[in-house]
Amino acid sequence: MAKHGGWAGKVLRIDLSTGRISSEDTVEKYKDVLGGTGLGYKVLWEEVAPGTKPFDPANKIVFGTGPLAGTGAPCNGRTAITTLWPTCWPKPLVASGHMGGQFAAELKYAGYDGIIIEGKADRPVYVSIMDKKVEIKDARHLWGQGIRRTTVELSQQFGPEVCVAAIGQAGENLIPMSVVMNAYSHSAGGVGAVMGSKNLKAIAVHGTGSVTIAGKKEEWEKLVKLHLSLLGANNQHVVPSSPQPWAEYYSPGSRWKGSRGNKWGASEPAIDTGICDPHDLNTIAYRTNNAAFYLGDIAWKYTVRGNGCTGCPIRCHTMIKVPSVAAKYGISEVGMNTCGGLNFGRSFFRKFPDGARGMTSMEACMVGMHMSDDYGLWCNYSQLQRDFLKLYETGIIKNKLGEKEFNSYSWDKYEKSDPSFLFELLPRIALKQGELATALGLGTGYMLETWSLSEEEWKKDNRLSYWKMGHPKHHASEEVGQCGVIINTQYNRDPQCHSHCNFTRNGLPLELQKRLAAETWGTQDAIDALGSYTPMNIGKARMAKWSLIRKELHDSLSLCNWMGPWVASPLKERGYRGDDSMESMLYSVATGDPKSREELDRVGERIFLLHRALTIRDMGTKEMSTQHDTVPEWVYNDQEKRPAYTKGTTHLGRDDVKLAMGMFYEEMGWDKTTGAPRAETYRRLGLAKVAEELGKKGLLG
Amino acid sequence: MLRRGGALIMNHYEEAQKLLGKVLGSLGLDDELSRRQFLKLSGFSIIGITALGPGLAKGSAKPLIIMEQAEGIVLADPTRCVGCRRCELACTEFNDGKAQPSISRIKVNRNINFGPKGLYTGRDSLGNWGNGLIIQDLCKQCPHPVPCANACPNDAIVVKPPLNARVVDPDRCVGCKMCQKACPWEMLSFDSEKNKATKCFLCDGKPKCVDACPASALTYASWQDLTEKVPPRAVPTAVLPPAKAAACIDCHKK
Repeated sequence: MAKHGGWAGKVLRIDLSTGRISSEDTVEKYKDVLGGTGLGYKVLWEEVAPGTKPFDPANKIVFGTGPLAGTGAPCNGRTAITTLWPTCWPKPLVASGHMGGQFAAELKYAGYDGIIIEGKADRPVYVSIMDKKVEIKDARHLWGQGIRRTTVELSQQFGPEVCVAAIGQAGENLIPMSVVMNAYSHSAGGVGAVMGSKNLKAIAVHGTGSVTIAGKKEEWEKLVKLHLSLLGANNQHVVPSSPQPWAEYYSPGSRWKGSRGNKWGASEPAIDTGICDPHDLNTIAYRTNNAAFYLGDIAWKYTVRGNGCTGCPIRCHTMIKVPSVAAKYGISEVGMNTCGGLNFGRSFFRKFPDGARGMTSMEACMVGMHMSDDYGLWCNYSQLQRDFLKLYETGIIKNKLGEKEFNSYSWDKYEKSDPSFLFELLPRIALKQGELATALGLGTGYMLETWSLSEEEWKKDNRLSYWKMGHPKHHASEEVGQCGVIINTQYNRDPQCHSHCNFTRNGLPLELQKRLAAETWGTQDAIDALGSYTPMNIGKARMAKWSLIRKELHDSLSLCNWMGPWVASPLKERGYRGDDSMESMLYSVATGDPKSREELDRVGERIFLLHRALTIRDMGTKEMSTQHDTVPEWVYNDQEKRPAYTKGTTHLGRDDVKLAMGMFYEEMGWDKTTGAPRAETYRRLGLAKVAEELGKKGLLG
Repeated sequence: MLRRGGALIMNHYEEAQKLLGKVLGSLGLDDELSRRQFLKLSGFSIIGITALGPGLAKGSAKPLIIMEQAEGIVLADPTRCVGCRRCELACTEFNDGKAQPSISRIKVNRNINFGPKGLYTGRDSLGNWGNGLIIQDLCKQCPHPVPCANACPNDAIVVKPPLNARVVDPDRCVGCKMCQKACPWEMLSFDSEKNKATKCFLCDGKPKCVDACPASALTYASWQDLTEKVPPRAVPTAVLPPAKAAACIDCHKK
C-alpha cells in the first residue's frame, strides 16, 4: 500500500543504454511538482544539459501521471510526456505531448506515477511493466509494424487488459511528426520519433494494485458527485446545442449534441440520446458526440457510441461505423478519435463534391484515422494539413519536386477530393519516401527551412493559423482576444491550453459569463464577446495567468484540460456557477495533503515557471519578449481592412498586444521588458536554486 | 475419515431437518418433508441453513445449502456501455476507499479491448477493437447450489439479509482463492492487500456501480436466475470437498 493517497508512490527509471531499471520515491522527490508535466520539467531541468538534441541518447522522455490518475475523479485519463521537442524550430526546446486512454490508470495500478526513459537501446526493445515486474525486451519482431499490430501482438502476450503505448513506422523512422499511441486512438504528438531514437518501440503496462484515497470514502464520493454535477459536455460546454425542455439557453456551437431524436444509429438497436438533463448523472455519456460536432448530423446514423479515457464520463472519442469504407478502401468499418485525429484525413482536402458534411468527408476521416493511427503520424494540430494545402495551392509542391516524383502522386484524385489519395501520401510520410513526404514529416519550421521558404510568409496567412517556432495557434486571438495571444506566446509548441476557451465558449449568454468572470478574475471586463473585442485590461492578464497555471496543474494532477477548469456549470440553480476550487478539493481529499485553491495554484505556477526557466536556460537568452514570446502578423490583420476592436473583427492592435504582454509579465512577477522572471519570483515559488543557476548565467529578469 | 464425515453430515441433517420443519411450519407447511421434497418446492425454498443457525456453519464437511434466493441483482445492457470504468472505480473507491479495478465486483476492463474471449480475432471480436460492444460481467447471486460458497472450505461465503446477497465474511476468509476457481463467470475478486476474497454484495440495495454509470447501462432489479442464460467464462476447477460432495449427491441424485 502506498504511503500517501493519490500517488502510486514510485517513479520508474529505465536506462536503455545499460538496461538498468530503478525507482525513486515520488512524494519525497517530486511532490513539489505533483507529477505529469511538473515531473517532466523537473527531470529535464536537473538532468538534461542545455544543447542536448531531441534524438541524442542524453535526451530523456518522461511519462508523467499525477495523483488523480486512476482515481474516480472525472476526466483523469491523461499522461503527460515531456522531452526535448523535435519539431520545435529553429532550436529544439522542452515541450510536452499528452495522451488520454488507459495508460495513466494502468501505470498507477502497476505502482508507478511516472517513467523516466534514458539512454538508447542497442537494438529495438519494448518495456513491459506487469505490476512490479519491469523488463526490457527484444522488439525486433515488432519493428516495422504499425501501432495496431504491435498492440495486438503484445496484448496476446500479456493478456487483454494490458495497455500498450506504441510508436508506428513514423516514430521508428525518426519522423518528427510522429506520435506514441495507446488504447486504439489516444496519442501524444511529437514524441514518437524521440522514442524511435532510443529504439523504444512500446511500453506495455498492466497493474492490479490500487490508488488509495486518503480522505474518508463518503467524503470522496460526495466530492466526486459534486464534480460530476458540474460537468458540461466536451470542452466544458455547459449548454446544449439545441433547445431542450430543461434548458434555459442553447448554443449551436456547443459540443453538447445529445437530444431526443439524435440516435446512436449504428448501435444495435439504435439508442436515443434523450434530453440529457444535467441533473441526471446517468446520462452524461450521451451529451457529447464529436463526430456529429465535426461531421454534421449525418454522423448520427453511423455513431456506435462514445468512447474515451479511464474514468471519464464525457466520451469525446466517438466511435463510428461506416460500412462503405470496408469495400471501398479495404479498411475497418469501425473507427474512433476526436478533433484533429478524427479530422486527420479530411483536413487534407479543401472541399468535397458532396459538401463539407457529406459521405466523402466522413470516408476521408475513416481513411485518415486508420492510417495515421497505425503508422503513428502526428498532425501538429492540423498544421500538417494546412501546410500541405498551402504548398499545393501556391504551386510550391510542383516547383520543388522533380517531375518523376510529382507525377508519382495521383493529383487528379486529389483534385476530386478522393480519400484514396491518402493511401499515396500518408505512408510515404511515415516511411520518409520522397522529398515531399520527407519535408512534411519534419514539421513546419524545418520544412520551411529545408525548402528555403519564408516563415514570415506563413505568419501572415490567416488561413494557415501558424504561430511560431514550427507550431500553430491553439485557441488564440481569434477566440479569446489578448488572453489567447498571451497563452499562445508561452510554449515551444502549440500551447494546448483550454482553460480560457473552455470558459468563453461554454455557450452561456455574455452577461452570465461576465458575472462569473468578475467573480473569478475580479472584473467582468476580463472577457469580451467574440468579434466584439475591447482593448487590454488587467482582468485579461489575470485570466491568462490563471489559464496557464490551471493548464499546468491539470497536466500535473492528471485532470483533462480539454474539460476543466470548472468555473461554469450547466446548473441554473447555481446561477451556472461551477466551482473554481474543484482541483484543490480533489487533490486534498485524494492525497490527504490539504491545500487551498490558492496554495495549489502556487504549485501550478511553480510548474509553469520551471517550464519558463528551462526555455530561458536552453535558449541561452533572457530576451524572451523579442526572441520567444512572438506574435504572428495575422493576429493584427483583418482581411477586410477594418479597424481593430470594431464589431465583427477578431484582429488586435499591435500596441495593445504589446501592452497586454507587459501587463501579463507584471502579473507574473517577470521583468516587464524582457519577459524573464525575476529572482524573487523564483524564490517566492520555491525555486531559489533555479534562480541561482540562471543568475550565474545572467538569465534573470 | 469418510465415515466420520458421514456421521457429521447425518447429525447435521437431523439438526437441519428440525430447523426446516420449524420454518416450514411457520409457513403453514407443517407436513414432515424429506429434504428432497423440500427442494422441489422451489417457490418456497428460499431459506438458508446458514442464516438459520450460526452453529451449523461450523465444521468443514457439512453441505452448504444456501436456499434463500437473493432479493436483488445488477443487470447490464452491453449496448449502452461506453467503457469508462466508472462502475469499477465507484465499486472500489466508495466501498474500499481505494481505486482498484482489479478487485471490482463488476468486471468490465477484461472485456473492453477484445470482448469476453480475450483474444483479438479481427472485427468479429467484441470490445473497442471489435464491433464496439462491451460486456459488463456481474455476479449472478446464484441460486442453490452457489458454486463459490460450496467451494469455500471455511464457509466464508454467506447469505446477508435482508437482500440475501452472497457475501464474503472477511473474518472467515483465509485467502485460499478456492472460490475464485469455482465461479463459472469468474466473478470473485481477491484483494491481495488484505489477503481476502471479495464479491458483489449489492451495496445494501444501492449499488454504487449502477449509481455511477454515465450511460444508464446498469440497473438494479429484482433477482432473477441468469445462471442458465449467461454463458460461463471458465470451467470451474475448484473441487468440492468429498464429504460435501457426498451430501450433495443425496439430494441431487435422481
